[in-house]
Amino acid sequence: MSVQRRSSSPARLARRALPVIALASTMGLVLAGCAGDTGGSSGDGGDKTLKVLIAAPQEGAGKILEADFEAETGVEVEVEVVPYDQIQTKAILDAQSGTNNYDVIQYWYTSVGALADADALADITDWVKSDEDIDSSDFIDAIFAPYTQYEGATYGLPIDGDTHVLFYNKAIFERNGVEVPTTWDEYVEVSKKITDAEKANGVYGNALLGSKSAFNIGSTFFNRLATMSPDPIDPQMPQLDTEYAVAAAQSMLDAAPSALPSPLEIGFEQALPQFLSGSVGMIEFWTDLGVFAQDPEQSKIVDGWGVAPLPVGPEGKISGALNAGWAMGISPNASDEDLAKQFVAFASSKETNEKLITTTGSGVDPTRTSTLESPEYIEFAPEVSAVAAQVLPNAQSWPTSPKAPEMIQSLSDNLALMLQGSLSAEQAMQQTWDSWQSLAG
Amino acid sequence: MSQHVAHRRVARRASWTGRALLAPAVIAIVIIAIYPLGYIIAASFSESSLGRPFSEWVGFDNFAAMLGDGVTIPSLGRSLLFAIPSALIALIAGLAVALSLDAAVKGGRVIRVLLLLPLMTPPVMAGVIWKLMLAPTGGLLNNIGQSFAPGSDPFLFLGSSPAAMLSVIVVDAWQWTPFCVLLVFAALQTLPTEVYEASQVDGAGVWQTFWRITFPLVLPSLITVLLLKLVVSFKVFDLVFIMTSGGPGFDTTVSSFEIYRTGLQTFDVGAAAAQTIAFLVLVTIVILPLNAVRQRLHKEG
Repeated sequence: MSVQRRSSSPARLARRALPVIALASTMGLVLAGCAGDTGGSSGDGGDKTLKVLIAAPQEGAGKILEADFEAETGVEVEVEVVPYDQIQTKAILDAQSGTNNYDVIQYWYTSVGALADADALADITDWVKSDEDIDSSDFIDAIFAPYTQYEGATYGLPIDGDTHVLFYNKAIFERNGVEVPTTWDEYVEVSKKITDAEKANGVYGNALLGSKSAFNIGSTFFNRLATMSPDPIDPQMPQLDTEYAVAAAQSMLDAAPSALPSPLEIGFEQALPQFLSGSVGMIEFWTDLGVFAQDPEQSKIVDGWGVAPLPVGPEGKISGALNAGWAMGISPNASDEDLAKQFVAFASSKETNEKLITTTGSGVDPTRTSTLESPEYIEFAPEVSAVAAQVLPNAQSWPTSPKAPEMIQSLSDNLALMLQGSLSAEQAMQQTWDSWQSLAG
Repeated sequence: MSQHVAHRRVARRASWTGRALLAPAVIAIVIIAIYPLGYIIAASFSESSLGRPFSEWVGFDNFAAMLGDGVTIPSLGRSLLFAIPSALIALIAGLAVALSLDAAVKGGRVIRVLLLLPLMTPPVMAGVIWKLMLAPTGGLLNNIGQSFAPGSDPFLFLGSSPAAMLSVIVVDAWQWTPFCVLLVFAALQTLPTEVYEASQVDGAGVWQTFWRITFPLVLPSLITVLLLKLVVSFKVFDLVFIMTSGGPGFDTTVSSFEIYRTGLQTFDVGAAAAQTIAFLVLVTIVILPLNAVRQRLHKEG
């Protein structure tokens, strides 16, 4: 027996080896599962790599930044483009999980509070104050604070100062004998007149961005709130329990019947081609529409459009809302913080902003006073730049507190219910205000 | 005595060998199923966000909030409203097509390949294509409508109630019918030919053959396909996300979409976990009885 037990026949060896192999494979599975890409810079000192998280609407600008920064510094830039509503998730998970995959994070400015509160952005206050090359005083005041500040600290630098202005189709206006509206009541009247006259031909007075994503229905509402309210919007808690908020919501309801059908289905992706094809009289849109409208490959209204500031309410003034603006911050776990700072400074610099705002397809608007007033921008987009110069310095912010994502979703939900006919303007505002109050605790 | 000890050693070694061989499966189950479930249950009793998971234990607060938020419970109802019709439509259409293919002598193989196209289309693309086709301005269906009634108002397939939910149900059924066709067709191939030969000798007609022979024989497989399709339908997300974003209003906000909104748009992971538990309970309530029927039919068959 003892001889047999000590024997090392192949079968016995195989039997003994089985548990070992099984355990080893199990450990292998576990270790393989635990293994991950540590990311970050290559770390060999010579071939530096910078990983940048960019939102899909900014992909055009991202490519330019990537190419120009590589050309200027020799540093390889890896840009990862993700849908805009996933930026916050990616950034927070990256920081919280310790994956540290990104060095620089582009963020929708409304999430600055949430990202800072979750420690997904580094506090760069001292650097921004001390580095004269950044020239933070040149940033448009209305943009710099909401895009970058949380509890008195700075967490990023502005890249894109997005706001809406009013574009209109000159031919449609001439056919219907209407003037560019300067008040929201006039806007509804003009829209109704055009739709009544030309709906049978597939032409509508306005395209109301009412689809239930924040960029659409939220922009439509804040456009009105910013231009109807005599008081500035408080980025921490915009006052929705006011007559102006109800009037802003009601203005959406008033415009809906004469809008391109149906507002609840219309986002910027649907509205833009309709305006460019000459089927829409008016549209509230980002300023870069002026560039698209002059591109004969995608526009049937070349030289046939005009642009004006958004209409205003009885007690409002020319203004706009910061719809979908972007900033760039640094991951607290950036593998090379100095390199990340260098990139953020480069991307937000006057030279880069000027190049981006004068490049077709970049989707970027001015962030600095110097670029807003630059001769190159004025020459590139003469009509739009004149309107942007009136609007951007007075543009107003959406919520930016850590609870902003919930606040914006609640607002979008209730506005969608309002456009659907399930809520009145008063009810939509009251329900939103109540939910905001409970979020504020 | 020594033989007894040797037996015990062999038995002990065999026992450890068995455990070691089972370890990969057990660890896989723990990682894939038990850990996520445990995490979700724990998260549902906590205040958690993406940035600050498990920041505070809140007991049943998330469940209480869920009951009172006016969105979660209706979304569970909409999941039922979506899953059951879409699964039944896909199954019935799949059975009809599979029977036709079964009877087809020529061209059956080519048609089978063509029928698979919707299934092979990524759901996101299917959603985009159908959204374009159903668009009020420029959409194929409304353009056809305009050619019959020029100047009429477009029909709002995705912008009105209950058309939006019906549209998503139809598109989902369109996409998953080939899946049902494949499975039902495979089941039809296994039916014994002797029974059909006997029925022909007895002079049975087409309907009699179907209702008295084919349907009873294929029923266990149909229930299995229905079970699978129901699970797929409950999980629908892509089509809703692309075609309606849950709208108009909340008309197509099914549970899976609402959980996504709560967890990944407002980043309230605790509330999303509570919603997931409620959704899990709903799916279990629907699936378990059906699974019992399926098992009973298979045993009887």
